Amino acid sequence: MDITTLGGQLLGIIPLGDIVLYVTTFNLFMFAAALVFTVLIAMSKTEKQVEAEFGTLNDREKKVGKDEFKVRRFLSIICGLATAGAMITGDLFNFTLFVTLIGIVNIGIVSAVKEVDVLDSAFQYGIIAMLATLPLFGGAALILAATGTLSMFEIVNIPSTAMMIFGSILLFIGVAGESGVAPFFATKAEMFRTAGSPFLVIIHLSSLLVIVRAIEVILLISKPF
Amino acid sequence: MNLMADILLNVTIAFLVGSVLFGIQRKVMARIQLRPGPPIIQHLLHTMKFFIKETVFPKTAAMPFYVVITVILCAIWVAAVIVGPVTQGPLLLLFAIFAIHKIVEHNAGSSSGSPYGKLSCVRAVFSAAAELPLFAVLIIIFLQTGTMQLSTIVAYQAEHGALIFTLPLAAMMFIALIISKSYYYSPLNITLAKDIVSGFETEHFGMLRGFIMISEAITWYMLLWVFLTVFFGALSPLMYLIGMVILTALIGAVNALTPILNPNHSVMTEITLAFIGIVGSIIMMFYI
Repeated sequence: MDITTLGGQLLGIIPLGDIVLYVTTFNLFMFAAALVFTVLIAMSKTEKQVEAEFGTLNDREKKVGKDEFKVRRFLSIICGLATAGAMITGDLFNFTLFVTLIGIVNIGIVSAVKEVDVLDSAFQYGIIAMLATLPLFGGAALILAATGTLSMFEIVNIPSTAMMIFGSILLFIGVAGESGVAPFFATKAEMFRTAGSPFLVIIHLSSLLVIVRAIEVILLISKPF
Repeated sequence: MNLMADILLNVTIAFLVGSVLFGIQRKVMARIQLRPGPPIIQHLLHTMKFFIKETVFPKTAAMPFYVVITVILCAIWVAAVIVGPVTQGPLLLLFAIFAIHKIVEHNAGSSSGSPYGKLSCVRAVFSAAAELPLFAVLIIIFLQTGTMQLSTIVAYQAEHGALIFTLPLAAMMFIALIISKSYYYSPLNITLAKDIVSGFETEHFGMLRGFIMISEAITWYMLLWVFLTVFFGALSPLMYLIGMVILTALIGAVNALTPILNPNHSVMTEITLAFIGIVGSIIMMFYI
């Protein structure tokens, strides 16, 4: 098995010491998608949520204030760049760092919102994300101990051992917790009820793209073939 | 054939066939419910109509996301056609395209400022938790065949027989995914359920809606194409067409005869099917 089995054609490598970044069709598509969304978020305004007020003929309008807008946009851009980094990196430790950064800024993006339900949800997600750092970094550490390298370009050529498979399972649990996908999605869904569409989309985008990349990383490490 | 001509031809076929398949689906549903139903080319006519209608933009929309998101939706499914029928590339890339489709559903809903769109956006987050495990069927295919390249999977089936007989539970999962992406009264498609009008599409008008409708047709074609390719192997164009018509008619019958589930029931149904499919397929691969 090699890198092209999963990601399609190898378009190029960027050797940085023992860390070799590689670009396959799959990585490039995900990287480009993350960057396109980040650019759109940087230039987009937020929507206004308008709802009919119950019992009167008035409308209720929810919008994002200027100060809140600036903070959330900054954090969203950081999140987008971290996601793009996680898509293209060829180093396992960098991947875990990017995933952790995504977890932190995801909480930051909604923590400026003054809504109790949203803050509760962000708090619960934060707890899960913090707990998930243990299997995330633990998994990467086990893989380093078992292989002597964190470069995925090297790891793919090392026959998998029980410790590498165990490490990759821990890594997957860590990524699932950090990105808040199933079975942890219930902690995160309420965060999306607030206004600020462009900022919320990066929370969802980062979770799904990281999970898809994590599948590639885990299959490269555990190598069922 | 020239690559660009190949892409254009395949995208056009995907759009036209997908549109007509929608018509067949609505016709089947209507006949089951003792209605005459719309003409089979209705989706095509609607798409054309939206391109000549005035495009209006809500004052509440998040610009330019509200506009660009429809183009992104179209672009990712054109990319899917390139990865699928044109180059027979990696399945993992199709997985990524499907993940971005969920993001687009999310943002198309929330960027308009409409409460219906917003509910659809929140439901897109919920349903992603269930649909992505269903799409994990592709990982099971990888475990069985040892490759993610569509061309090699087709070659594997030419040698070992169609995967539908080896991995029936994985096929069931994929059918559940297709039902969840079925646009007309699907029991599992909570992002477009009629209790929230048209979900994330509610506030997109004119040309923007036209782009969404083109994408819907291509999405439907591609989901059926991927199913037929990974579970039946190399088929002739005629067999693809027959397979797609049969699947569409079957799903039309399912949609006509089942209630639209609420979000919690829909997600739990999909997660249950995914659990049975993934665990069952792995057991079957190693012990049968």
